[in-house]
Amino acid sequence: MSEEIVDVLIIGSGHSGGMAAKILTEKGINCLMLNAGPVADPHKDAEVKPTYALPFRGFKQPGILPHVFQANEFNANTWVDEKEVPYTYDAEHPYNWVRVRLFGGRSLFWSRQSFRLSDYEFKGKSHDGYGDDWPIGLADLAPYYSRVEEIFRVTGVPYGLPQYPDGNFVPDDEPWTTSMLRYAAAGKAKGVPVCKARSALGVDGLASSVNLLLPDAVKTGRLKAIPNVVVRELSVDKNTGLVNEAHFVDRLSKREMSVKARVVVLAAGTLESTRLLLNSKLANSSGVMGHYLIDQVYGPGMVCAVPDARDGKGTREIMGGGGLIPRFRNIDTKAKDFVRGYALNLYSNMGGVSPHYFAAYGEELQQKLDSYYGATLSAGIMGEVLARYENHVSIDKVAVDAWDIPALRIQTRYTDNEFNMARDAVDTATALAEAAGYEVLVKNYEPNPPGYSIHELGTCRMGDDPKTSVLNKWNQSHDIKNLLVVDGAAFVSGGWQNPTMTILSLAMRAAEHLADQMRTGNV
Amino acid sequence: MRRRDFVKGILAAGAAAKTMSAQQAAAPAAQATPPAASSTPPPMPPQGPVAPGPMPWNRGLLEAPELNLSTVVADAVAETHAHFFNESQTATLRRLCVLLMPPLKGYPGALDTGTPEFLDFLIGASPRRQQQMYKAGLDRLDAEAKAKFGAPFEKATDAQADTLIKPWLRTWMTDHAPTELHAAFINQAHSDIRTATMNSQAWSDAHQAARHWRDGYDLYWYPVDPNMNDEPNAALRRPAMPAAPAAHA
Repeated sequence: MSEEIVDVLIIGSGHSGGMAAKILTEKGINCLMLNAGPVADPHKDAEVKPTYALPFRGFKQPGILPHVFQANEFNANTWVDEKEVPYTYDAEHPYNWVRVRLFGGRSLFWSRQSFRLSDYEFKGKSHDGYGDDWPIGLADLAPYYSRVEEIFRVTGVPYGLPQYPDGNFVPDDEPWTTSMLRYAAAGKAKGVPVCKARSALGVDGLASSVNLLLPDAVKTGRLKAIPNVVVRELSVDKNTGLVNEAHFVDRLSKREMSVKARVVVLAAGTLESTRLLLNSKLANSSGVMGHYLIDQVYGPGMVCAVPDARDGKGTREIMGGGGLIPRFRNIDTKAKDFVRGYALNLYSNMGGVSPHYFAAYGEELQQKLDSYYGATLSAGIMGEVLARYENHVSIDKVAVDAWDIPALRIQTRYTDNEFNMARDAVDTATALAEAAGYEVLVKNYEPNPPGYSIHELGTCRMGDDPKTSVLNKWNQSHDIKNLLVVDGAAFVSGGWQNPTMTILSLAMRAAEHLADQMRTGNV
Repeated sequence: MRRRDFVKGILAAGAAAKTMSAQQAAAPAAQATPPAASSTPPPMPPQGPVAPGPMPWNRGLLEAPELNLSTVVADAVAETHAHFFNESQTATLRRLCVLLMPPLKGYPGALDTGTPEFLDFLIGASPRRQQQMYKAGLDRLDAEAKAKFGAPFEKATDAQADTLIKPWLRTWMTDHAPTELHAAFINQAHSDIRTATMNSQAWSDAHQAARHWRDGYDLYWYPVDPNMNDEPNAALRRPAMPAAPAAHA
């Protein structure tokens, strides 16, 4: 039996765990990474196949992954099966908890949208009185955003908008198509900024922990990693109160093991990190652990048709590309029935159109599909969900996972603020489409279930006051100084932005601070 | 059998044979295996005696040339046994398939691609709620046809059937299909019939012939390192941990 004590134990291998490993090992610190799933090799574990050769002809096995709307028969085996790792919720308020346990986690599969939070998020309470400010502001995180943007090769256009902070971009020189220019002009006339989105180019198209972060850690020779181990519980030294051991179970054999560590960095993904802490009964002197669960409203949107692109006339000058309407509500004016704001993703589509957009069938439908081929433009909301104490997770009293680890109970719901915001977003997108002379084909006002955005945040929020927050501004537990949570659990508010760049920047900043603390003997 | 499975089978058989060998081989025979001379391990299990025969079970498998067997999907040559829907439901579904997804522009229609039989299988394997929606929806179409036109839905003319379908069609965005019961059925069945047809090999072949490029191909993920046993094993459950210090509870 090994008595080795590792310097830093990192639990999780996605964007945040990968960043922590990269920074710490490059600072000369030995790390051990535990991951609940296997290492995936697309060359060995995946194969290009036609839909017709799949067992369920592309429909996906009926009944599986009911809360992973993103799942299809091609990728079904990459998601966590909720029968294996269950969670519970009130029947009338379901939650879509979308998880990946492969090495690299959800950094393997994400949309690459890469945004900074602005001080309208970091200092939201100061601006509008709702919720709480973060203990840090954009200026604190900006240097880290810049370094992360460089690693991830974020492409974008600077606009100088305070609610859409510029960054360290690979220049985006791609001209807009006329369908986008017309939509943008309609926006300008109504005071709605239509911009280009910002996206991580990564390397060879992949922008993941497994190709941009972990290889740097491996290069140092200071990273060891164990796949297929599910951490059950952390325990503390009774004399010092410091966390000193992780107990885990081998996923395949169910053998129970443990490892000792000087520091533990949680990067298991917002809700898994919080679940582990709740199961360990640690670091919650504030009582707010599990509370203030945030996500983002997705689902409401609109699809319209660009008339001059119909009937095969949609050239590459007219159609293609996309855009982003950053938050514009509640910046200089006040919306009548909601606080905060939303963004809209825009896509000018050169390809086929969904048959669901037409109340027709057979030959009539085919004629419409032909006529509208490559002629649609869609808008979809990314809306802020307010941080509320009552939206929370706790340990379920009954349910356990395949390794007998108590499961999470997720209790969250949207309120009028989110519903009103969604309505405004759809109406705004529609008004711009009509002003541009486009034909609105279909609208949806109903949000997808909470969690669908895969942007679950909060539940171990950071703050300066140990009585009202779990972590300090360095992602370090107020209660246990050698315990950090570097994933999305630390968020105080979520804004409308895809949180990946912020998670990465916070993890980088936290890991550098930790390395300094370890060097000076404070941790 | 996929080549990957084939190789996995070889490796599994190798592991099994090795275990049996360890249990049954006499000690001197096990020691006869020469120590590794270099850091590159030999590709195959040791050459000592293995049970039950005189030959190592895996001999020659890794050296065999790749099989390059051309496989076909079963749909290409076989019929699906349909047994979930009753006779009238099947007849109604087949008529619905003809109406909603006829052969058009050189592409096969739903009947040409075995869509009714495939949906019989798919819905038969689906959660109960989905099954009930389909059965109730098909029954309702048939009952309405009998009440309005004095004939089952399968005998309804195109114009008659249209009056039973069109009023229920809705426009909708992904993940937000209609929820009102009969509208949910009509729109879901429409979508399923289209998808089952367009995801067939016959459709794929027609598409390639018409457009000269392949459609519907994507990266399929096999189960990655699947669990050995999904059932919790009570004997392996860990005893309860001592409680954490109260100061941190």
